Amino acid sequence: MMAAAPAVETKDLVKVFERGRRTIWQRLRRERDKRDRFRAVDGIDLVVEPGEIFGLLGPNGAGKTTTMKMLATLLIPTSGTIRVLGIDPLARPRDVRARLGAMLSGERSLYWKLTARENLEYFAALYHVPPHEIKARIANVLAAAKLTDRADDYVERYSTGMRQRLALARALLPDPPLVVLDEPTVGLDPQASRDLRDRVRELKAQGRTVLLTTHYMEEADQLCDRVAIIDHGRIVALDTPAALKRTIRAEEVVHLEIGLDGDDSAVLDRLGQSAIVARSERSNGTLTVTAHCASARNFVPAAFDAARSTGSTIRHVEVVPVTLEDVFLALTGRALRE
Amino acid sequence: MSLLAADLRAFFAAALKELRQQRRYPTLFLGQLFWPAILPASWVLMGRAYSGNDPQALAAFAERAGSSNVAVFVFVGYAMYNWLSALLWGAGTALRQEQLRGTLEAVFVTPASRLVPLFGPGVGTLLPMALTFASNLLALRIFFGIFPPVAAVIQAAVIVVLGIPALYAIGALFAASVLRFGEVAPVVQLIRGVFVLACGITFPVAMLPLWAQFSAKLMPPTYIVDDIRRVLLRGDTIADVAGDIVIVLCLAAVTAILAVAVFRYLELSARRTGMLGRF
Amino acid sequence: MGEIRAAFAIARKEIRGFSRYRIAVASTVFTPLYQFIIPAFLFGAAFAVNGRAVGLATTLGTDDLPGFIFFGGLIGGLIGMAFWGVAFSIRMEMDTGTLEPTWLTPTHHETLVIGRALGSLFWFAISQVALFAFGVWILGLRLRLEMLLALPAVVCAILAMVGIAYLLAGIVLLIREANFFVDTANFLFGMLSGTAFPVTLLPGVLQPIAFALPTTYAIDILRVQALGARPLFDPALEYLVLIGLTLVSYPLGRWVFARAEQAMRRRGMLAQY
Repeated sequence: MMAAAPAVETKDLVKVFERGRRTIWQRLRRERDKRDRFRAVDGIDLVVEPGEIFGLLGPNGAGKTTTMKMLATLLIPTSGTIRVLGIDPLARPRDVRARLGAMLSGERSLYWKLTARENLEYFAALYHVPPHEIKARIANVLAAAKLTDRADDYVERYSTGMRQRLALARALLPDPPLVVLDEPTVGLDPQASRDLRDRVRELKAQGRTVLLTTHYMEEADQLCDRVAIIDHGRIVALDTPAALKRTIRAEEVVHLEIGLDGDDSAVLDRLGQSAIVARSERSNGTLTVTAHCASARNFVPAAFDAARSTGSTIRHVEVVPVTLEDVFLALTGRALRE
Repeated sequence: MSLLAADLRAFFAAALKELRQQRRYPTLFLGQLFWPAILPASWVLMGRAYSGNDPQALAAFAERAGSSNVAVFVFVGYAMYNWLSALLWGAGTALRQEQLRGTLEAVFVTPASRLVPLFGPGVGTLLPMALTFASNLLALRIFFGIFPPVAAVIQAAVIVVLGIPALYAIGALFAASVLRFGEVAPVVQLIRGVFVLACGITFPVAMLPLWAQFSAKLMPPTYIVDDIRRVLLRGDTIADVAGDIVIVLCLAAVTAILAVAVFRYLELSARRTGMLGRF
Repeated sequence: MGEIRAAFAIARKEIRGFSRYRIAVASTVFTPLYQFIIPAFLFGAAFAVNGRAVGLATTLGTDDLPGFIFFGGLIGGLIGMAFWGVAFSIRMEMDTGTLEPTWLTPTHHETLVIGRALGSLFWFAISQVALFAFGVWILGLRLRLEMLLALPAVVCAILAMVGIAYLLAGIVLLIREANFFVDTANFLFGMLSGTAFPVTLLPGVLQPIAFALPTTYAIDILRVQALGARPLFDPALEYLVLIGLTLVSYPLGRWVFARAEQAMRRRGMLAQY
């Protein structure tokens, strides 16, 4: 038996944007194009297997959305190849669109002056859903989105969470084997986010492949089978969340706030002897340190010793388990939400 | 006295803010050159189609409009139309925008007079209006080779200046009333429509039914347009139209008082109900 | 088949969506009335001698002032349909964010133009019926059976404006100040087509542009056949040119639209709003 083709496959995918525009005058005179170029996606290789939930995790501006838009046929790559469900979106964009459920810009993408049902009827026709199936399909996606009893209300009367669920319901109208979601929970309250994550798990249970982007590490951790950490348009790590966390040779993460007057190199040196200092930041006489260690039970007393011996005081200690945030920090030296 | 000076400063600050905001929209500026030139020009050509250069037809028009010079007649009407338009859109909606953005509340907690947000933005439209009038005159010269006598133009300018209070009072009354409505754009269209139809902008008021002619007499733009046409086309002087100007100034006072009353009432009810954000 | 259904779904959505803005619906009748029809009628009537538009008769060969205004307005409404109903409406969707999910469906992007044209044709028909009713009732507009002879010219003009709508949609998606462009270009297009006055009154430099527009011929044929006005050229020739320009407008419009679409996929403009 042949293994199923990957749901998504990209090779050396690059997207370069030009900033600003050339005026008609510049074009007529054939002036050299002097615009700034910005590599939003800088050589991404991805293989998403059928049936998995795959996450692209990275800070804002890392190139996640640009990647998604290239997969969804909205953007033409500068170079590299893409296959979506085995199809080249450059050669056959409409075939890709017919098989892809995409939710890219959530609530803004709905007609607020139409009801949920009217929105879905409209998009069902645009997705070329056969007329005799439209009613049942809409009923299904509405039920799955828990919007059946509000289906005939104008979307303008919906909460943000309901609009987001409706946008997802719309993406499912073509019954797609692959669903791509760009920042699906951004702007949602915790309860609405949980609901939406449950919906994503249901999609996987139905046998669909889900590719999503997020800058919430918890979301990637809880939801995704595999995660690609992306920064400055490149993938810096790719594995299961558990394996990614294991790359940090630490069991626990300790956040310290240290009050000191003079130079901080001495205390950082001392701390470095019993843990890995992943990040330190100084502001107004307070040194904030994130340390990766094997055991907080051993490190915390050592940290107090280090502080005492260098004439500084520890004001606050917090011990947390390793998260993908720490993985990102270890890989890039920056926090996800900077 | 110092309070008055402070209020005046606040007043000009409000006007300056409007001007600065306008600078952000370059096409608004382009529009201020394009429309005042092209729109009336198209009506002059319509007039040519309707007259067919037939002496009888032109005589009939002169009898109703006071002159057979269709081009000047139309350009003066459109100058008034643009002025009204700018006031209703600019000054009229400025207050509503302040309300929507919540900045009206911020103005209300300052010690500045309540009249500043009501009348201030109108001043901001003075400079663009001067530009529009210039564009009007230039188009008349370039397209139709007409330039009225300088003395007449100066007198027309005096009439415009004397008309300013009346027009700003209309802008303020509109601005205050508009706070009650959700959507401004359709109300602007409606009010502008009434002025266009009633005040002799593109056709002589004599064409209207009698009841409409009577209503037109209650609107300052009717007098201003007519007086400008009289000095430009018939050689009348300011002295000849002095009676009209007195009426315009009286109407201005009544309109301004009405605007302040409406605004006061809305502010009061807002303070009572705590709904300043929405009225 | 799927594309046809999609086109009708787009038309239905346009009709539904617009009908929920009652004031906007009312203004499709009210705005042309106060901005053009009533002032133009009273202006024209100011030149009348003993109730007869003698001046217009000299210019045009007919003294039917209301007919002259209303048939010009009819084609003006069609022009507005292409500019506002199709091109600007697509641009609005781009700015509000609903164009992107539409772009994600397998429906051909050209169908967006066709569907919108169908939808706005509906509103065009409604507003024209209301305006003509007003004309007959208040302004003494006379409708005669021979006016139906002008119907083929109107159909041709509709088809030509859909071709031009493609072109406009392409332009409007790419430029920054779409509102200003649509507002001014719509007005100039109407003026140069002779909606308000015969194009022979235009300055000489503008006349070649006027004669390159299909709507110029549609209006002229309409006025000749419905009002008995003097034609600009031989009406048979005018028909031929009208059909020719209509046929040219499609490949040209679709080419521009396709170019705009490519440019957006390359630059990523669809997403910046």
